[in-house]
Amino acid sequence: MTCERIEELLSAYLEGELADAEKAEVAAHLAACPECAGLVELMKETSGAMAGFPEAEPSPELMAGLYAIPAARRERRRWFQPVFDYLTRPALQPVYAAFTVLFIALSFVLFHPEGRGIRKQIDVRLHRGIGTVEKLYAGAGTLKGEIGSLTTTVVKSFNNLDLLKSGEGKQ
Amino acid sequence: MDLDAVIRECLEGSPSAWETLVNTFAKRIFNMAYQFSGSRQEAEDKTQEVFLKLYGALPRYDSGKNFTAWLLTLTKNHLIDEYRRTKWEKTQRDDFDERVLAQTAHDGPEQSLVEKETKALVWEGLNRLSADMRMVIILRDLQGKSYEEVAEILDLPLGTVKSRVNRARIQLAQVLKEYRGGTS
Repeated sequence: MTCERIEELLSAYLEGELADAEKAEVAAHLAACPECAGLVELMKETSGAMAGFPEAEPSPELMAGLYAIPAARRERRRWFQPVFDYLTRPALQPVYAAFTVLFIALSFVLFHPEGRGIRKQIDVRLHRGIGTVEKLYAGAGTLKGEIGSLTTTVVKSFNNLDLLKSGEGKQ
Repeated sequence: MDLDAVIRECLEGSPSAWETLVNTFAKRIFNMAYQFSGSRQEAEDKTQEVFLKLYGALPRYDSGKNFTAWLLTLTKNHLIDEYRRTKWEKTQRDDFDERVLAQTAHDGPEQSLVEKETKALVWEGLNRLSADMRMVIILRDLQGKSYEEVAEILDLPLGTVKSRVNRARIQLAQVLKEYRGGTS
């Protein structure tokens, strides 16, 4: 057996879990290999040291803290429950749904690989829209002027008509 | 003690049942955290966190399972997750002598100087093992669990656990050799 193979069997050897044939092979290797024999001695020492590790006692402060966990949780729940209930009431569900849709749409714009192009398109469309509105507004102004002048003309015509009527009466 | 009954009473909100649960497991969890972290302060914080988690997770406990193994799995997961998140290996372990002095009631005065030195070196050497290796050796050699129990707690095949324990022991032996300057 090689040293690597022996190393794989050392714990089982020390714990007496090997079959007789394997156990004899390991023992024979250890008798002939000072490196592996030294390793086994160190393993025995570390195991012995760990078996003698004392158990530490938790402090009274820690125990008091552990006992208080349910009361602390209940107290926290007493403060947070009303807020939680308010935020989870069914009436707010459409609001959350609307925000979710908005965020998804926004994330497409912000995080899409071609987000810059999309934002540019939106910008161009927005500016075009504003331009169109401005043109419409200007057109509306002209129309207003034309209607104004037309109204003036119509009023004048009616006035002239009255004058004619009154002239006929005199005659 | 009927652990299932205690857990049921805990879930019904009984303070005395919770105290029973704490009294039964606090020392074990605290020691596991102490052996893993090497710092009493860190161990106290982790024990508190584990019991907070336990309180929250208790309603999800399947009563058909082994409660001790379930709790130790929860503890192991918390310790390893926190270890990976905060990298405790950068911090020093508490001095082993202080720990021994604090436990004179358990250790007899006849303890030889060499034994004390070996214990101190092994205690220090635990910090040189990876989180997984440290956990496996703590469960097997310090907590005294059987290979089957360790396999259940770590959710690993029995063969993997045996091989990992063997490798951890070899690594610890090599650390001891290194500390002693390769004289053994």
